[in-house]
Amino acid sequence: MTQAVPKSGAGAASPVLLGLIGLVGFAALFEVLPRIGVLPADYFPTTSAIAAHGLALVRQSAFWVSFGQTVGTWALGLAISVVGGLVLGVIIGAVPLLRAATSSTIEFLRPIPSVALIPLVIVLLGTKMSSTLVLVVYASFWPVLVQVLYGVADVDPIARETALSFRLGPLDRVRYLIWPTTLPYAVTGIRLAASVALILTITGELVIGSPGLGHDIQTAYSSNAVPLMYALVVVTGLIGVAANLVTRMTERRILRWHPSVRGEVPV
Amino acid sequence: MSVVPVLRRVGLFLGLPVVLVLTWWFASADSVQFYQPPLSKILAVFPSTWTWQRFDHDVVPSLTRLAIGYTIALGLGISLGALIGSYRSLRALLEPVLEFLRAIPPPVLVPIFLLIAGIENTSKILVIASGCVWPVLLNTVEGVRAVDEVLGDTCRSYRIGGTRRLFTFVLRSASPQIMAGARQALSLGLILMVISELKAAHDGIGFAITEFKDGFQIPEMYSGVLVLGAIGVTLALLFWLVERRVLGWYRGARAAERSAP
Amino acid sequence: MLDIRAVRKVYDSHGRQVEALADITLSVADGEFVCVVGPSGCGKTTLLRCIGGLLPPTSGEVYVSGRRVSAPPDELAIVFQEYGRSLFPWLRVDQNVELPLKAKGTPRRQRTRLVDEALEAVGLTGARTAWPWQLSGGMQQRVAIARALAYEPKVLLMDEPFAAVDAQTRADLEDLVRSVWRQLGVTLVFVTHDIDEAVYLGQRVIVLSASPTVVVEDIAVDLPDARDQLNTRADPRFVTQRTHVYSLIQKAKRTAALA
Repeated sequence: MTQAVPKSGAGAASPVLLGLIGLVGFAALFEVLPRIGVLPADYFPTTSAIAAHGLALVRQSAFWVSFGQTVGTWALGLAISVVGGLVLGVIIGAVPLLRAATSSTIEFLRPIPSVALIPLVIVLLGTKMSSTLVLVVYASFWPVLVQVLYGVADVDPIARETALSFRLGPLDRVRYLIWPTTLPYAVTGIRLAASVALILTITGELVIGSPGLGHDIQTAYSSNAVPLMYALVVVTGLIGVAANLVTRMTERRILRWHPSVRGEVPV
Repeated sequence: MSVVPVLRRVGLFLGLPVVLVLTWWFASADSVQFYQPPLSKILAVFPSTWTWQRFDHDVVPSLTRLAIGYTIALGLGISLGALIGSYRSLRALLEPVLEFLRAIPPPVLVPIFLLIAGIENTSKILVIASGCVWPVLLNTVEGVRAVDEVLGDTCRSYRIGGTRRLFTFVLRSASPQIMAGARQALSLGLILMVISELKAAHDGIGFAITEFKDGFQIPEMYSGVLVLGAIGVTLALLFWLVERRVLGWYRGARAAERSAP
Repeated sequence: MLDIRAVRKVYDSHGRQVEALADITLSVADGEFVCVVGPSGCGKTTLLRCIGGLLPPTSGEVYVSGRRVSAPPDELAIVFQEYGRSLFPWLRVDQNVELPLKAKGTPRRQRTRLVDEALEAVGLTGARTAWPWQLSGGMQQRVAIARALAYEPKVLLMDEPFAAVDAQTRADLEDLVRSVWRQLGVTLVFVTHDIDEAVYLGQRVIVLSASPTVVVEDIAVDLPDARDQLNTRADPRFVTQRTHVYSLIQKAKRTAALA
């Protein structure tokens, strides 16, 4: 083993500080550009205008109702997909015949854009939350399923033979063999599913008109309330950031005790 | 007796899809529900609905916008990603801003781009590009960050620098990660293509489907959904073919790694 | 050819200052084969990286062909220990060997000739269109050596190149290096932790101390030019010299433990 050799000449400013500078710079840029006319002020409200509208928003209870609806749809849809994806993934993955029989169907259905279902759900289910929910579940189910299938396929064949030779029943095999191997993959799948689910939640609210922040954005657009629209967009961005942070923290927590933390497979 | 394994493979491949399609056919055959037409009817309207004219008017513009937006996203994402990934300070500077921008669900940018660029092609292409760039950019940054140190030293000691280093070493090393980003971007692009055409459009597949829906031409609407599905599957297949070619070395290397004691 | 003057290297490691090299001064003449040994962690790799221009010394200078080294010099090639990671997995063997020549600007016909000759010298002509990951560890290291050879360097640095290879392959590779050295007349600096290997291969053996590292002794190896694994290693002179080196290193380890 060669001894670890640190890279020569590093030690720049702390990354946290740099990040803050980046953020401040970005906000400042969008404060200045509309003011000096580089960006048309009609379409690009200044950072301060957006912030002002944002602060006004959070004082309205209607906002929080929408907020709750969006987050609720997102969470519910994600939960359904995750449970479905895990269960189906483990079952299909563990039985080679099932895997072979379903692989063509999965590869056909997976690339179908969930938004193709929008007209269908509108005519069949209307513009309620359930329409959006169908979209969310359809779109976020596949990342979970596919990742779990990868995980189950990655089980060490020697470990599997050992388990079989000890006559571990199917449930025990799942618990001691399949689950630990699949866990990192499942977590990756959930991370991807979470981000897709948020996108589809907002899409559904925007396009179908089910209640939530997406719907509010559409309303703001139609009534030409531009700064309000931007403020809502920023809010959805912040929700996305929060969701990413939460999933990443959970991922780190869950995988910390995992015996063999794998390098991330490009997904 | 080598017919049997072939038959078995074909059977496994086609079995479930055929069963599902047949189930749909028979379950919907006697349907008198307006919004759930029989599959036979849906298929029957295909020839009259999806003519060359419609292809020209709707499918081609949609796919063209997708292609342009996707290409812009790839170009921007890979070049910026390579730049940002190569300099630690730059990455630290931009990371929070990028995290925020990419967390904005792309569909919400539709109204913004409609404002800025109207309902013509430009706004749709912008929507697609602005959404697709993120998976490519972020995956490129990750891929470029993670280039192997020993390979880097090899390049330094043989004085392999500049563009040669970028293309022969950095980008190829990051290519599995970049391809993963490109794949995510493709499915996202398809979604954005449709969304940008559902409202405030005057051509495109999404527009056509909405027209059918609003005109109560339900079997035609379903046929549009099927066409979208077919496009999605075809694009995925094309991508897979390209990926096989570009990442052949990667599959081999991973397989060798895995089978090593 | 190689002039290392009072090289000192200090790192910042988690807030602590680590003096990897205290004061290294030595010279290597044109065409000499020099082996560098020392206790684990004494900074052999650091020294090699300083000579190769990959790491700037904290103080002191390195001169190659009379010119001061501040970046990897033109006429120098390095063979790393981690052969698997030093070959480009997306290039075939011949493309890997060819790459530094392309970067150098060598015209195509000459490149092909150099690549062919290098692959032949390491016995891999048959594997020229293989992918690196299809080859065994020993073969991969041969590709790395071929790549260095094709580059036609004046100085070749090798950083524990056979440490990760099995014993039989190692013996073959050691003989390969010696024969290549004799054929081409390069100046070779070979870092290893294997004392037997150092005495078997080198014309001189430089023994380093433990940290803070200095040169303990510079031994001229008293063995004939023609060496082979069987006879040379049984030669009483070999045994004496390797015992001497071994005892120096043991002493260095003990001193370090007491410090």
